Amino acid sequence: MTTMLETKDLAYWYENGSRPLFKDVNLTFEAGKSYAIVGQSGTGKTTFLSLLAGLDHPKAGEILYDNETLKKIGLTNYRRRDVSIVFQAYNLFNYMSPVNNLMTAMAITNAEHRGDQEYAKRMLEQIGIPKGDFNRNVTHLSGGQQQRVAIARTMCCDAALVVADEPTGNLDEQNTKAVINQFQSIAHDQGKCVIIVTHEPEVAKQCDVEIQLADREFQTVVR
Amino acid sequence: MKMNFVKRAWLSLSAKWGRSILLVLVTSTILMFVLAGLLISHAASQATAEAKKSVGATLTLSANREAAFKKMQSGSTTSKPKKITMTPVKLSDAKKIARSGNISSMNATATTSVDAKSFDTVSTTSSSTGMMGMRGGSSSSTGDVTVNGVTSTSDVSSFTSKSSKITKGRGIKASDEGTNNVVIESELAKQDNLTVGDTMTVKQTTGNKTTYKLKIVGIYKASSSASSGMGMMGSDPSNAVYTSYTFANTIKGSKYKDTADSVTFKISNPAKTTAVKKAGDKLINTSTYSLTTDDNSYQTVKKSMNTVSGFANKIVWLVAAAGTVILALIVIMMVRERRYEIGVLLSLGESRFKIAAQFFTELVMVLIVSLAIAGIGGQFVGNQLGQQLVTQAQTSQTSETSGPMGQGGGQPGGMRSGGMGGQRSGGFSQKKAAKTKLSTTVTATEMAELGGFGLSIMFVSVAIGSLGIMRLEPKKVLIDD
Repeated sequence: MTTMLETKDLAYWYENGSRPLFKDVNLTFEAGKSYAIVGQSGTGKTTFLSLLAGLDHPKAGEILYDNETLKKIGLTNYRRRDVSIVFQAYNLFNYMSPVNNLMTAMAITNAEHRGDQEYAKRMLEQIGIPKGDFNRNVTHLSGGQQQRVAIARTMCCDAALVVADEPTGNLDEQNTKAVINQFQSIAHDQGKCVIIVTHEPEVAKQCDVEIQLADREFQTVVR
Repeated sequence: MKMNFVKRAWLSLSAKWGRSILLVLVTSTILMFVLAGLLISHAASQATAEAKKSVGATLTLSANREAAFKKMQSGSTTSKPKKITMTPVKLSDAKKIARSGNISSMNATATTSVDAKSFDTVSTTSSSTGMMGMRGGSSSSTGDVTVNGVTSTSDVSSFTSKSSKITKGRGIKASDEGTNNVVIESELAKQDNLTVGDTMTVKQTTGNKTTYKLKIVGIYKASSSASSGMGMMGSDPSNAVYTSYTFANTIKGSKYKDTADSVTFKISNPAKTTAVKKAGDKLINTSTYSLTTDDNSYQTVKKSMNTVSGFANKIVWLVAAAGTVILALIVIMMVRERRYEIGVLLSLGESRFKIAAQFFTELVMVLIVSLAIAGIGGQFVGNQLGQQLVTQAQTSQTSETSGPMGQGGGQPGGMRSGGMGGQRSGGFSQKKAAKTKLSTTVTATEMAELGGFGLSIMFVSVAIGSLGIMRLEPKKVLIDD
């Protein structure tokens, strides 16, 4: 397995905070593997994920994607080309249908299948969205269905890195299981690197690598 | 797929139709008032241009009465009664002025009187109420028929103001020069049973009392108000006839050949009245002749239209500024309301410029619909507001120019003879100016201009509203909130 993402002496603190949330974080993430970042609320796991997703700049240290620093790649380019994000609140375009959500994401990220509506429909079908819901407004779908549309969105884009912030936080047990299976499939079948932030031990256990964040330090558990 | 923001704009507008309708209503209202302002402004310019054509301005060449008066006072020391010597205008001088540019036509006038021979004149007891004084300066004796020699009756003020109308035959034209053709008043024609084609005989009042046979080519009807002051001393206005100025000169005597009492020039572009007068002054002997201008009518209309136009321009800019502020506030609110959407777009790697472009495109789509609505509504608002403004502007203008004497704004007619006892039609131009109407019709030019204004308003609004987009941090929106 090749190293896709690497953090070097990464540190982050809030402007008004005296102590850093975390510091000297040195981790590597490989393609074809799923990672779970677990920890108590307020430990900084979501902030860590936002740095990996290119949504914010680290206060110290650096992140390398394919051996190139994010600073050099540029955060906007990185987000468009290399990383795909799934949020707890789904964050779909609420004025669009599932198909248009996928089409829009493919257009913005300049994905290989951009403009291919049939491909978008196949992706939706693959993750279990009924055909009748393809062109309905996403707000008419259930929470589980919306999260699956969000996952299909990441599958449509060509980004090799998928990061997810509490993707099962609003889902029931059955939907949680289905969503985790989708992430595993993305990692193992599509060869992408999947990093999930979760506070649910059951979800973490299903990932290939578990990274525990406690007392501003990361501990890696490889299964 | 670089234009994906256009598709997003359309999807957003069509999905959130309630918000879209609200935007269309607000934009339509703003554009409606901008259009109304543009329409009034354009219509005022058009009305001013029309005024140039309709009310026009004139330049009159006549004897310099003031200089002649001074000459009379200084020239005679004897106890003999003093006499002003007025030099008739040379037509060669008039033609030079006519060729100097910006003159559309010229009308020579020569007035005299004759006695009726083959017919009876109309006599009334109250005809002296409009006494104007003797014309021409050359007549030593007053006949019972006033001969108004002109180049063309169509250039005479009473005919241009429609207070006199040709009812049969035709008026006097330039081609009547050298002929004995005459146009007589309908009352005189009726009394003597005369009609077009008939002849009538008149004789000189002085000298060898030569008889002249006149051929009637037209009959005119003078309204009572217009005719009340037409006649010579004590003569009924119906006894005024129109001939070519050459015939009037013939009656006055051989020394009046190729002269006129006065010559009135119609200026093709009233805005150049002063320049035309300056050029004319260089061509004449100003100690003998004088050039007087009368562009009061044009100035009156121009002033009132400038007031309307100025107000309309203020409307346009005020509404445009207010519209920009309103739409900018709406865009700012839209940005706040849609910050999650913006955050997701940023997380997908969309550029901030394209997100702002999406908002701009949405407003442009709204603008297209609003333009159609404003086009219909603006016409109505423009009509109402425009006429209201014109009425106000002209009311204040009329009272301003009339003054305590009730004068001003008068247009000289072809009969004006520069102080030699001419006729003024003082009320004419004011009446014209008061009748000025604004033609507020929506044309492609106005719609294009409105579109330009709309686009500018949208652009500035989005530019202001997008400051929020430029500052928005996706982490704060998507994760921290």
